[in-house]
Amino acid sequence: MQTHALLNVDRDLLLPFFERVPELFDRYHNDPQSNPEVYEELLYKIHRPLSGDMLDMIDDWMGLEHRRFNQDQDLMLRLFLLAIRYPDTLLLESLDDVITEDVRRISAYLHFTSHTYTIWDQDTRRGLKLLGFDIPDTQKADPFIYGAYVGTIELIKDLAPFTCFLEHDVPRQRLFQAAIAQYGREA
Amino acid sequence: MSRTEIVEGYTPNFEGWVQEFHEWQTRIGFDPAWLGDYRFEIRFDWISAGDSIEFGDFEGMPKWSRRMQIPQQNIRDAIITMISVQGDTEFASVEQQNHLLATAPTEYDRKSALRIMCEEQRHGWQMAYLLCTYFGEQGVREAAKLLERNAQDGTRLLGSFNAPIDHWLDFFCFTHFIDRDGKYQLKMLSTSSFQPLAASMGPMLKEESFHLGTGANGLRRIVKAGVIPTTFLQKYVNKWVSTGLDLFGTDESTSAQWAYVYGVKGRYDERESGDDADRDHLNEASRGLYFDEIKAEMARISKGRPEGDPELYIPSDKFNRGIGRYSGNLYTVTGEDFEGSEEEYAEYLAGVLPSDEDERKLVEEYMAPGVEWIQYREWKE
Repeated sequence: MQTHALLNVDRDLLLPFFERVPELFDRYHNDPQSNPEVYEELLYKIHRPLSGDMLDMIDDWMGLEHRRFNQDQDLMLRLFLLAIRYPDTLLLESLDDVITEDVRRISAYLHFTSHTYTIWDQDTRRGLKLLGFDIPDTQKADPFIYGAYVGTIELIKDLAPFTCFLEHDVPRQRLFQAAIAQYGREA
Repeated sequence: MSRTEIVEGYTPNFEGWVQEFHEWQTRIGFDPAWLGDYRFEIRFDWISAGDSIEFGDFEGMPKWSRRMQIPQQNIRDAIITMISVQGDTEFASVEQQNHLLATAPTEYDRKSALRIMCEEQRHGWQMAYLLCTYFGEQGVREAAKLLERNAQDGTRLLGSFNAPIDHWLDFFCFTHFIDRDGKYQLKMLSTSSFQPLAASMGPMLKEESFHLGTGANGLRRIVKAGVIPTTFLQKYVNKWVSTGLDLFGTDESTSAQWAYVYGVKGRYDERESGDDADRDHLNEASRGLYFDEIKAEMARISKGRPEGDPELYIPSDKFNRGIGRYSGNLYTVTGEDFEGSEEEYAEYLAGVLPSDEDERKLVEEYMAPGVEWIQYREWKE
């Protein structure tokens, strides 16, 4: 799959992006709207065993209302977050619809509990399109669409030259997702 | 753009060296089981290495991809020295640090340190591979020496890599200040006229960024935890900065100048800089960029300190230097001339650098079991 993906990459589209990754990341991550200090705190504060308060903190940072899941669904979600391993996204299918109805929420939970998964957002999707990767829009956490989204960001990370790799206190997946989002936002 | 080649087959010379490497692991007490599914691989990024010599007297000519293409023996010797010094530091750091795994403050730190040690060993492999594969008998001999010198015996090539790293504060300072110097060295070699050396640097630099992040992140977490006062931490910053600055080499270095003339080692910002190099002051230029970078980083780290604690700062580049134009003179941490005798200066140093009593206090009180001296962080894949 990775070989197939590599063959289909338009490298000319990626070059101008790679030249700007540190600057793009900085602009997106340190934008007051992104609330970088709280983001970085969440990297520490979200840990096992997961509690409802921790998920509330993620909801707050994302600007979402607190989730309204019943007790069983809450347990189902926490077990899911403990069990899932990158690059699996099919496990999303095992969840009740109410849990997966907002891809932004579940992707943020996934990101803070397992950094390899990236947060879904529209700027990032626009940025990916500019780089030659057209990820369909979705409200719901579709395992195939979300899987393509995180897999593409991972592929871009693999292709990036060393000059893109900042020593920053954020996971590399966030580094690239933020830079792609800024790229999309500027378009 | 990056496209990494992973080498599948090795030469007999290198396979022989791999046997010696396994013996070295046993000798220093690094259990290969700690590696898990990590595999040492030889990785080249030929695209970012470029095809034409980028600076120096051979600029514009094709990069050398084999020993016999290198026009002079002294250039070959310079390249072998560069590779040997780089490889020496990689193995030395593992010798200095592997005992710390048993006392990691969190599982996150243990796994981070282990990942760093795995990657440092891989970098050492890469350098040994270059020596064994491209430089014949001379290279094989130098590769063997990478495993014969030892940090515990004080026989590693650079001073910082013989210094003991007794605890996790030193580990974070080392990865922040000394690995950052490593980043500079790798980047300076990434434009090298010897193509296999230049092509080795891209994958190594990607890995190195994690090592630096671990150091900066560790120091930030210590500051945020607020258990170790910043006045105490400042002494460790004072200790490591001068060592980091010395690693860039002497002022007005002729060997740096020759390496530039040969196109073997460039400036840190060789590709980005539009200016001609000041060949008489190459080490000073890189050291200056490093110094600016660590000052900016320290301002970031210091932001998380508890209210009322003084700000952490980077001491003057004159302070406590072992080489260069400031060495042998007496300066304060802020760079003023020290007014007083040598005895009084020794007393002054005891107050601004970690003393034996500070070391005891750090380990027995601040880092005592049960004390949360570093902010908790969970390891996440």
